Formats: sequence, C-alpha cells, structure tokens
Amino acid sequence: MSTTSQKHRDFVGEPMGDKPVMALSGIGDTLGKKLEEQGFDKASVVLGQFLLLKKDTEMFTDWLKDATGANSRQAGSCAQCLKEWCDAFL
Amino acid sequence: MSSLSNMSAEEISELLDEYGIKHGPVVDSTRNLYEKKLKEAMAKGKKAKPSPDKTFYREEEEEVTYVYRTPAKSEDVRDSRTYMRSRPEWTERELEHSASYSGYSRSDYKGRNYDELSHESPKYTKEDFPTYGQDAPKAPKSSRLIPLWVQFLCFLAVAVFLYLVFSSMESNEPLKVIE
Repeated sequence: MSTTSQKHRDFVGEPMGDKPVMALSGIGDTLGKKLEEQGFDKASVVLGQFLLLKKDTEMFTDWLKDATGANSRQAGSCAQCLKEWCDAFL
Repeated sequence: MSSLSNMSAEEISELLDEYGIKHGPVVDSTRNLYEKKLKEAMAKGKKAKPSPDKTFYREEEEEVTYVYRTPAKSEDVRDSRTYMRSRPEWTERELEHSASYSGYSRSDYKGRNYDELSHESPKYTKEDFPTYGQDAPKAPKSSRLIPLWVQFLCFLAVAVFLYLVFSSMESNEPLKVIE
C-alpha cells in the first residue's frame, strides 16, 4: 500500500527487545516524552497496551491520540507498525 | 443513568457489548478510552438494545441495495464483492434458523447486534422489501462516481463516432464484411 519509512522497517524487522518508545514508527521526541510520562517507557509497554486493545488498530489509534495528542497520521503509523510486528513475531 | 466512572469494570464491559463495541479487558489503562467510546455511542442516540431495528437498516441498507440490483445488473465488478458478501447473508437469513444463525454471525460480524436481530430476522424478510424498493433508486446514484446517464451518453457518442468513421470510408468493403 503506502511506502513504509525506514523507522517502520527497522522496528518490524526484528524483536523489539528493550527498544525505547521512540523507536516506534510515528513516535518522535514529543510524543515519546508524553508516553514516558504516563509510564510507557519502553516500546514493549506500548505493545502491551496494543495487545490489551485486542490488536485493534482503530481502538489503539484512538487511545494514542487521546493519551498523547498524536495526529491521525502518527497514531495510524504507530498502530500499523505494532500490528505488523505482532504479525511477524507474536 | 449513573456516571460511567462509578461503574465497575464488568458493568462497563457489559455496556460496551450492548452498544456492539468490540473491546478488550477493562483495566486502568483502557478504562478511560472505553468510557469515552461509551459516551460517544450514547450521544449518537442509543444504538443499544432499545432500537436494534434502526441499526439493522443503517448497516444493511447499502448491502441489501446491491443484492436488490444485482439480478438486473451483474456486470459491475465493484458490486460483485459486496454482492458475494451480502448474498450469503440473505440466504442465511431466509433459510437458517435463528439459533444457528446467531452462532454464525457472532463470529463473523464484529460490532453488530445480530443476537438481537436474529430474533427479528423472520419479520424483516417480508418487511424489508417495500422499504428497499424506495431505497434502491436512491442508493445506486450515490454509490456511482459517474452517473448512469453520463455513461450511456458516452457509449452513444462512441457508437456514433464509429459509425461515422465507417460510413466515411471510401471503399465499401468494411461495411460488407460486417453485414
């Protein structure tokens, strides 16, 4: 569909391990800080939230926009990134 | 109506089910989101148990219109996908019993109140048609990017053009071949 960014490809290509939350596609410094403030200090914790929402990208996008003020593009990108990671590794 | 924040997690979960919102566990991090979703759903005017018929119409309107039209028009590739999806729906609704139907629909359709609808399905097969007769002329227009009459006009223009080309040819051979 749309071309994926290098960040997306880097994340989806390997187990996330202990990567910081800013390694997620769509999450930059600003959003990353906001997530860390709420306790989501690692990408795996955000993954946890994604899984709690039953891997529903729409729900996750809504949650992310709500929690951090992300716009649709950023939230959608993060959701898609997590979804693909799950498809590959979960 | 008690405020959502006072409800227990189970009550929130039940409410989400009533509104047909697919959801995961209601825990600390997800609770906020689900409360918001419920508020939105309530504001939209109660898609919950009170009026399942309206939900049915709104969701099914487009699909049933395609089924209604496809006997006459089976060329549209775009419709064939929806046609295939909605056709099983119709045969299921008319033929299968509500018990087995609700089992099928639960796994297949997310966020729809089919468990309520399955009770009403026998009624709908008869009641639907008069209404859909009215909806059918409306819906196809909105679903087409180029109106039907424009397509006919283009076709006629191309046909006339081809005729002129043939008729203006010097030799009569092409015409004879066709005839």
